[in-house]
Amino acid sequence: MRPFFTLAGKLLRDSRWSLIFSALALFALGWLFVHVASLNETRILKTLSAAPGEKARAFRWMRDMGLEDAPSSTAIMMAFWNHPFIVLVVAIWAIGRGAGAVGAEIERGSLDLVLSRPISRWSYLAAQAMVATAGLLAIAGSLAAGALLASWYNVLRVPPDGLELVRPALNLAALGFSIYGYTLLFSSIDLVRWRPTMIGSVLTLGGFIARVIALIPIFKDAVWRPWAERFSIFSLYNPVDAVTGREVYSFDVTVLTALGASCVGLAFLFFTTRDLPANG
Amino acid sequence: MNPALIIAENLTKFYGDSPALRDLTLEIRRGEIFGLLGPNGSGKTTAIRLLLGFLRPTAGRASVAGFDCWRRGVEVRRLVSYMPGELRISGSMTGFGVLDFLSGLRDGDGLDRAVAIAETVMGLDLGRKVRKYSTGMKQKLALALAFADPTEILILDEPTSALDPSARADVLQLIREAREQGQTIIFSGHVLSEIEAVCDRVAILRRGRLVHVEDMAARRRLRMLLARFSGDTLPPIPEELELSIRRPEGTAWLFEHRGALGPLLHWLAAVDVQDVAIGTEDLRALYDQYHGPGAADDEDGAGNEDEEPSP
Repeated sequence: MRPFFTLAGKLLRDSRWSLIFSALALFALGWLFVHVASLNETRILKTLSAAPGEKARAFRWMRDMGLEDAPSSTAIMMAFWNHPFIVLVVAIWAIGRGAGAVGAEIERGSLDLVLSRPISRWSYLAAQAMVATAGLLAIAGSLAAGALLASWYNVLRVPPDGLELVRPALNLAALGFSIYGYTLLFSSIDLVRWRPTMIGSVLTLGGFIARVIALIPIFKDAVWRPWAERFSIFSLYNPVDAVTGREVYSFDVTVLTALGASCVGLAFLFFTTRDLPANG
Repeated sequence: MNPALIIAENLTKFYGDSPALRDLTLEIRRGEIFGLLGPNGSGKTTAIRLLLGFLRPTAGRASVAGFDCWRRGVEVRRLVSYMPGELRISGSMTGFGVLDFLSGLRDGDGLDRAVAIAETVMGLDLGRKVRKYSTGMKQKLALALAFADPTEILILDEPTSALDPSARADVLQLIREAREQGQTIIFSGHVLSEIEAVCDRVAILRRGRLVHVEDMAARRRLRMLLARFSGDTLPPIPEELELSIRRPEGTAWLFEHRGALGPLLHWLAAVDVQDVAIGTEDLRALYDQYHGPGAADDEDGAGNEDEEPSP
């Protein structure tokens, strides 16, 4: 097992700066969103504790805002987790690791040196997948950690507990895993880095745009809208549902994970049976 | 004669419709230094990659110590240390980091020896980042690792291409020492004098085909004799002389001689010879028969030798 862990350690060292940067960025965002949620709640509570006439007006205003059901602090906070920057950070990590696993190594010529040692292609790709998945969990986990830590320092009506934040974090990691899966699949059959990067980016961006368009109210009755939604992996990323305990959460995470695992499985199949020609 | 350690049987590789290697059949014996010669695109690298299990043969098979190179690649690579023509690895690692990482992929075996070779023989500063190494220094680092690996087989792909003359001499010495320790070495390269200096046998490849295998010990015994005799006819040549006619050279004759020198000199003294020159023939002459300007074209002559088929 030493060769496997030697390789995994090297991959982790090589990607440490992008991992640390991504994790810190999401940690800060997690903190920021709690702070914003806290400011909002404080403002609402302040309005409610004002004069009686003011109170009535505040209730009317809350109804207008659709806040009659008084969602939990965490659910409000989770609305921010749909922010494109969060998805962007996860997607960059997933696409970077996926495209870099095979195509980039062949392009650089460094795969020869590694695979000329007694390490199987299966072990090589397993080490790549393990580091990428661990990175995704760390990045998503740092978002949750930032939010949890911030909840100790910011006033929230109902502060989240740690376990409550695990579910949306897992949903985010599963989203990243599916992006990693299809990028790795294209990388496993390629000789260069740019092509799987481009395909992974186009698929991811296309999925995101499809999701955004499907949510625009004027397209509510369009016949293609359900298809646009169905074919976008982003419709399976619902952090608010994850904390409100809706059943769809398990479905979302399962489908995203299964999609990623299927693509990774196919990547193993292609990579272990393909030719590795000299490059450069 | 030592048994064959590496066997290729009708080994063939096509990239699409382009042939990269065709019907390569050869055996490399345990403990020998085997040279692979040929210009770019002749199939040397394809042959090496087939042996390492990087490529699946289109036809035929290759095996190392009985292990099929494609199906049992890990077992094969446990026995083989490979040095690519150029070390391409993350420049952010130090020289020691590279040795540590790559020997770690072989369970850590050979690290101490690799460090010793790199520092003492190659004169490398292993604390420096690899990105600050010159091309030659990177090649030295790869060589240090290859010679330190505790493997039965060493595959060196153009091992001296970026080295200065004194480093080249060191590498040739390391190759000889490796053979003395029982290692089998495949030496692929373009520098004929180096291959001639160390190899026991040499295979010449041309457009993906094996066209000649030369026994270098026999070649070192070979003498070329250019002689002009009086009269129009050749004097009779005794069989025990091991003298054969290669071709007429104007009014003279060019002979190949593989026997002892004494009987040849006695024969020359006995016949009516007008002029004589005795010398040796280097590998260049043999190589030029297949790759020189006047080399005969074969049925595949339409292809450009200098272009490697693309996968």
